Amino acid sequence: MSEAPIFHSKYSYHHDGKAQQLDIHEILVKRSRLGIFLSYFMVVVFLGTNVYFVTTKVFCILILTFFEVNIRSIWSILVCFLLAKFLHYNPVKKERVVIMPAFGVQLETHYWSGRIVRLFVPISKILSSMLNECVTPVTCYWSLALLLRDEGELMLVFQLIRFVQKLQPPLKMLVPVWKALRAAINCEETSIT
Amino acid sequence: MDQQRKHTILMVSDFFYPNFGGVESHIYYLSQCLLKLGHKTEPDLNAFAFKIGLVVVMTHSYGKRTGVRYVTNGLKVYYVPWRAFLMQNTLPTFYLTLPIIRTILIRERISIVHGHQAFSTLCHEALMHARTMGYKVVFTDHSLYGFADVGSIHMNKVLQFTLADISQAICVSHTSKENTVLRSGITPDRVFVVPNAVDTAMFTPSTCRLSCDEIVIVVISRLVYRKGADLLVEVIPEVCHLFSNVRFIVGGDGPKRVRLEEMREKHSLQDRVEMLGAVPHARVRSVLISGHIFLNSSLTEAFCIAILEAASCGLLTVLPDDMVVLSEPDPGDMVHAIRKAIVMLPSIDPYAMHQRMKKLYSWHDVAKRTEIVYDRALQSSDENLLRRLPRYLKCGSWAGKMFCLVMIVNFLLWCLLDLWQPVESIEEVPDLVFIRNEHEDVRIFVFLRLNGFRWRGMDCSQWVFGDAFIPSSGSGFCNRSGKFQWISEVAFIFRRVFDLRQRIRFRFVFRNGFGGLRLFCFVIALLLCVLNSVRFESGVSLIRMLVSFD
Repeated sequence: MSEAPIFHSKYSYHHDGKAQQLDIHEILVKRSRLGIFLSYFMVVVFLGTNVYFVTTKVFCILILTFFEVNIRSIWSILVCFLLAKFLHYNPVKKERVVIMPAFGVQLETHYWSGRIVRLFVPISKILSSMLNECVTPVTCYWSLALLLRDEGELMLVFQLIRFVQKLQPPLKMLVPVWKALRAAINCEETSIT
Repeated sequence: MDQQRKHTILMVSDFFYPNFGGVESHIYYLSQCLLKLGHKTEPDLNAFAFKIGLVVVMTHSYGKRTGVRYVTNGLKVYYVPWRAFLMQNTLPTFYLTLPIIRTILIRERISIVHGHQAFSTLCHEALMHARTMGYKVVFTDHSLYGFADVGSIHMNKVLQFTLADISQAICVSHTSKENTVLRSGITPDRVFVVPNAVDTAMFTPSTCRLSCDEIVIVVISRLVYRKGADLLVEVIPEVCHLFSNVRFIVGGDGPKRVRLEEMREKHSLQDRVEMLGAVPHARVRSVLISGHIFLNSSLTEAFCIAILEAASCGLLTVLPDDMVVLSEPDPGDMVHAIRKAIVMLPSIDPYAMHQRMKKLYSWHDVAKRTEIVYDRALQSSDENLLRRLPRYLKCGSWAGKMFCLVMIVNFLLWCLLDLWQPVESIEEVPDLVFIRNEHEDVRIFVFLRLNGFRWRGMDCSQWVFGDAFIPSSGSGFCNRSGKFQWISEVAFIFRRVFDLRQRIRFRFVFRNGFGGLRLFCFVIALLLCVLNSVRFESGVSLIRMLVSFD
């Protein structure tokens, strides 16, 4: 049984429940083509400004203005690097949460390159799942986290932080995942007691 | 009355719990009473349920206390992680607070923004941004300010800017209204007077009546010039000399404490004047009930809650004629007033005073009156930027033009932010209900959020990112000199931004074909930076070596 997908800006949520007793929740991330183009354009621009001065023998003489080149290059590198990263450094294709009742929860991250990173958390280790409101100096968003036994830190279900690029799925996609996690944890607790 | 809530209010101030003071307790009590009022208009809630989001408070973070917290009855407080720079005030950045304020206003579906205290920079910025975005704003002024010194002149100009385009203003007394109107040039008909109140449930008289053999006069205030500490130094020895059965208890701390101690030594009044030092608010009541008379020697007060607290505890002090003895700020007159008070003392009934206080000053009454102000504010018309700008021009010949420019830039930045992060992408907070002592699940949910459990890495990396790239943190690129220092800077920053768990994500860049191009670019960029930061001679020789075709 799978429910209708939810779409919101660049995220889409799919749920596939009861497939071989597993509960699978997926959040897919769209990439904007403009972002990709702009990021490579920026890379080309900063390469151009620096390579121009270094690889051409004739223009070596211009390096005599050492101080200007230094500050300008570093600044241009910094700005272009930041812009490139900011506009498009989002290799994540989708985030998947596979809930195996009475066994554990598997958190998967699929990248556009095809690589998959998996993290398994046994059900006995999870104390609870919770929705956090995170406040930063410029924005405020929701995140889903697991509270683990004997650990001082929360484990994020959806890895939200990249270098500059943020994955912030909306609350209406996090709520079904949260409910399913709670249901799985509660079933486990009642079966123990 | 429709089922939708009438107002959703955002209280903004730099001053809130865990800081303690008059403004903080005003915001807290007013918010609690507004929540209860709002609760009454929601028939589907039972006695233990409070709808979260009717009143939201926004303030800056206090130490580790940052993020969203819930205080009593589900009052939601945003501790925005902006650092305080002076006396609990946020650094005034003019436009940098626009994104977070816009996000909070949209996600909480705020209808009115209520700012507190002229001294609070966050309040002024929030009101400015709220006006730009078209929200109705209300401002409450809690203090009196002068006109002559540099600080006051600057503060008054800022206040003039904020109040030039405000919906309504509230002052805590008529004197305060006069002061505010003169300082800011706002028309008096837009200023309401809503006095403060006192928590009479907390300040109750003592169960056993104190005997009148020995009369105890209590003084609790900050020992500063403005609170008349110098007057106290003159009055106390005089009264002790005239009345042998009078004792003083002085609570509070400040720069003038030294003078009081000296006075004690000089007149050998150690057994008759007790100095308690700073008294925490929880202990104020116990100090008050140990006395008969409360003495307040302030030179100026916008509204003195301390007097209300004392009267609520049944002490004779400053209030309606039969509860009050007023005097001029002059030692001789004060001594005369104390004599009158001592004579009146046997006829005072603390419980009767307490009951009168309960009726006269109550936070529920304050909340109702504030709601009337909100209703009036909501009735004012929506205006666009062009119609609002002339109000700023009136603020002064140069200042007016500068203020207009500030508002225009603010408007443009808001439009830009609208394009960058459209309103649709900001999710509204769902209607949550805070239930006390009810369902276990909800309690756990709220309990965890009350403790503000945070993933250290997450908060840290958000903040550290901002920290790492702002030169003031000391990790700016231009600060260090020497070759290859830049590399260590970059590595340092990357180490800080990513914690151990995150490095696995970054390592991806080096491992697969798709990221190979990016990797190549990154390496080239790094190489270029190295080349640029090495010394001139070795750099040129290195370059010559690289590019020589000989």
